[in-house]
Amino acid sequence: METMAKIAFAVYTFLILGGAVTAIRARSLVRALVGLIGSLFGVAGMYMLLNTPFLALMQILIYVGAVVVLIFFAIMLTHADEKGEEGRATETRQNFWALTAMLAVTACIGWMLLRAGVPGLSVPAQVAVDVLGKGLMEDYFLAFELISVVLLVAMSGAVLLAFEKRGKK
Amino acid sequence: MTPLVMYQLVSLALLGIGLFGIVNRKSLVGMLICVELMLNGAGLSIVSAAQLTEANAVLGQLGTLLVMGLAAAEATLVLAIIVVVFRRFGTTRTDAVTTLTNES
Repeated sequence: METMAKIAFAVYTFLILGGAVTAIRARSLVRALVGLIGSLFGVAGMYMLLNTPFLALMQILIYVGAVVVLIFFAIMLTHADEKGEEGRATETRQNFWALTAMLAVTACIGWMLLRAGVPGLSVPAQVAVDVLGKGLMEDYFLAFELISVVLLVAMSGAVLLAFEKRGKK
Repeated sequence: MTPLVMYQLVSLALLGIGLFGIVNRKSLVGMLICVELMLNGAGLSIVSAAQLTEANAVLGQLGTLLVMGLAAAEATLVLAIIVVVFRRFGTTRTDAVTTLTNES
């Protein structure tokens, strides 16, 4: 079983990293979006490995079901195809600064991570779904209500921003 | 290397790749994709930290759920902003959109 978990971890890591690299390097934004989907599925698999199947399903439902479709709408509405703005070659200067930004942050955090050596459990904790629901309704009720308010405000704000009066143009 | 450190390294890689992309990408939609990558790294980091230590596992899982909700809200708003910017400037290139209005 231990070996199976290691193989699954390697496969999911490959899926996540390959998808992420596709998402940032692909010239066509639709291909980048496919890379993002692969990465999201990899993270969902990681959630399965971490013994949180509820979060894995929510990841697929919310990210792949809602967020990716929204991004796809954004791509279609802005005609962002291969001949569009992502089609040009990147300047070397921009590549350099991007690499610097990445290395500065990851080197700091990675160094701390490897140095601290936090002793973790080898078997993930087990939480039943009804305990999660109880937590949402009792302990973290305020956060639950606030996130619904945020979603409502974001949605009405989006409608307000994108609304166009008929006959204006 | 403990399992916790390995999960944290994967989420750190997601954060790094997302950071690289957000500086490197030339359009607003590409930057949105990179933000989603970084948020995923955050979620994976929170869940692994909650599940593989003695910390409160319920709090970690619900926190990740809230991160997902915020990501959905953020994607909605960014979609609306991209549509407005595209309608006003005719492009979503980040180096072309440097002013808040194009009145002058």
